[in-house]
Amino acid sequence: MKVQISSVRTIRELGKISLLAGSLSLGLSGMAQAETFRIGITQNNVGVDSYQTTYEQAFEEAADEADNVEVVVLDAGGDVARQISQVRNLIQQQVDVIIIWPTDGQAVVPAINGAKNAGIPVVVTNSNIAEAGQPLIAAFSGPNNIQQGAYAAEMMCDQLGGKGDIVQITGQPGYTTAIERQKGFEDRLPEVCPDVKILDSQPGDWNRAKAQRTMEDFLTRYDKIDGVYAADDNMGVGALNAAKSEDRADEIVFIGATNFAVGYEAMARGEYHGSVYQSPAEDARNALNIAIAVAQGKEVNKMSYFDTPKITQENMDEFEKPVF
Amino acid sequence: MKALLDSFKPGLKGGEISPLQFFGKHGISVAFILCVVIFSLSTQKFLSTDNFLTVVMQASIIGTIALGVTFVVIGGNLDLSVGSLLSFATVLVVDLHDKVGPGAAILLMFVFTLLIGSVNGYLIGYLRLNSLIVTLGMLSAIQGITLVYSGGKNVDISDQENTWFAFFGREELFGIPIPALIFIVLGIVLQIVLLKSGFGRKIFAIGGNATASLFSGLRRNRLVFSTYLLSAFTTGCAALILGSRVMGSQNNVGEGYELLVLAGVILGGTSLLGGSGSIARTVIGVLILAMIQNGLLLLGFPYYTQWLVTWVVIIVAVWLDIAAKRGKLFSTY
Repeated sequence: MKVQISSVRTIRELGKISLLAGSLSLGLSGMAQAETFRIGITQNNVGVDSYQTTYEQAFEEAADEADNVEVVVLDAGGDVARQISQVRNLIQQQVDVIIIWPTDGQAVVPAINGAKNAGIPVVVTNSNIAEAGQPLIAAFSGPNNIQQGAYAAEMMCDQLGGKGDIVQITGQPGYTTAIERQKGFEDRLPEVCPDVKILDSQPGDWNRAKAQRTMEDFLTRYDKIDGVYAADDNMGVGALNAAKSEDRADEIVFIGATNFAVGYEAMARGEYHGSVYQSPAEDARNALNIAIAVAQGKEVNKMSYFDTPKITQENMDEFEKPVF
Repeated sequence: MKALLDSFKPGLKGGEISPLQFFGKHGISVAFILCVVIFSLSTQKFLSTDNFLTVVMQASIIGTIALGVTFVVIGGNLDLSVGSLLSFATVLVVDLHDKVGPGAAILLMFVFTLLIGSVNGYLIGYLRLNSLIVTLGMLSAIQGITLVYSGGKNVDISDQENTWFAFFGREELFGIPIPALIFIVLGIVLQIVLLKSGFGRKIFAIGGNATASLFSGLRRNRLVFSTYLLSAFTTGCAALILGSRVMGSQNNVGEGYELLVLAGVILGGTSLLGGSGSIARTVIGVLILAMIQNGLLLLGFPYYTQWLVTWVVIIVAVWLDIAAKRGKLFSTY
């Protein structure tokens, strides 16, 4: 059930309006100077998780550091109608580029079309939009979820030594990220490890408690499980909790597809075996850089992925603990 | 055949009850046994003490909340805020655990959870506002408070191995997981309160006929207030189990729980109009829902079948309930 958080939002919106007014006046006074770009962003749902919260902070910091950029930062609060009206607002303000973190990959397409008709290029960030919208956008900036799933398959294969029976805990059904991470994993696994068999897949809804419950049932159903692939570490740690309480954690390899702080800590304890390092700050900086390049009229890759490397017990020293 | 048809008609001789009335009265127990039998025949893994305890443990979070909500519903109201109250309480107790220690964290969690429950109770009991509107609003408001408190970040307990907080979710007593024990013991206590105490009888009275209870000198406002305190208390207990089991919390961990709780309560035959219901049947209702989830997963069905099966079970249960009350399977007008 999705619910509006009206009181919090109102306070947030008030802040945004003053910020907006500020950037408007700045924009007018800055016109005479050398090229200053105005970039508007409408985010999905800041405050609902640490990833999006960190993303927003990093985005604003990166914009402060760049001297030729002013940003208008908006948040749709998970509401697609609000996001569409925010895009309209940004069009009316005549920003140079609009960055959109889609609340719904399908429903935002007409709004993106509107921006294109107004001559404003659109960069999609973090989660891609539907196929129909692809010709309308200047670029997509974000993680390559299919690649992340494939990395997870490779790490699973390495850790198992090429043979074993595993279970999969996927993200929220219908969610693009969940579908892509599952596809990347299931496509890559038979290529690298034909002898590793997926016994079962069930959704954990990105929810640790749910994943823990699902894993308990898997443990009842299968007397032998050699590995668990969870679409993120939050769920992976839920599975680890379940296996530990059954005293079966030692015989199981745990692989996730986004490294969370809890997964990083479990990895440091030697209980968790591999994940994919995805930094929200990197995600935000990449989006801003692509948007600036688009504003400057430079050529950019249509699919501008940022790097999300593998992280295992061996190389984890090279990475800082995730903030989320 | 005629005898069978006759049996569905009301007006039987004294002492006899029709199959329909029997199902209406004991339908939930029959459904429970039916579920056990079907799943046991389908998979060998289902019928074992270990798996049964797993089911009870998995049902314990929703079940514990449902115990308190049963009182609210019998009193003629609804509580849709328990899902986000669970998120709030879990985030609070987990976050405070590292800051002030487990004991103080639990105490503070209960203080704030009961405070929110008393706001619900005040608005609905004393101001007589519609419970659906108040608690639906609270659902969003509490989610907002949780997000403001946590700043959108997940919270985790850092030293998970050496805290006695693990007791509530991860330990066992006489081979029974503590979550299951909390659920069952609380269920027995509240069943006794509901059936044997004056308080319980008064809750039935205000839910059954608010006007009559008023003329009988019952203080409806105070009674309604206390049912919301009770549902906040059981939600706090559920937060203890959840926080301890997971040793961390997301901001939206209880999202959607209000409907699962309500499904369990309805399945147990508690009337949404108030005035009738039972804790024991709520417990069975919640166990059936958990069993369907567990059993279908053990059988390897895809996840969406459980949504469908759950819905069918609820519809059939509610139908039989209504059919037994009117003495006929189908409405004639």
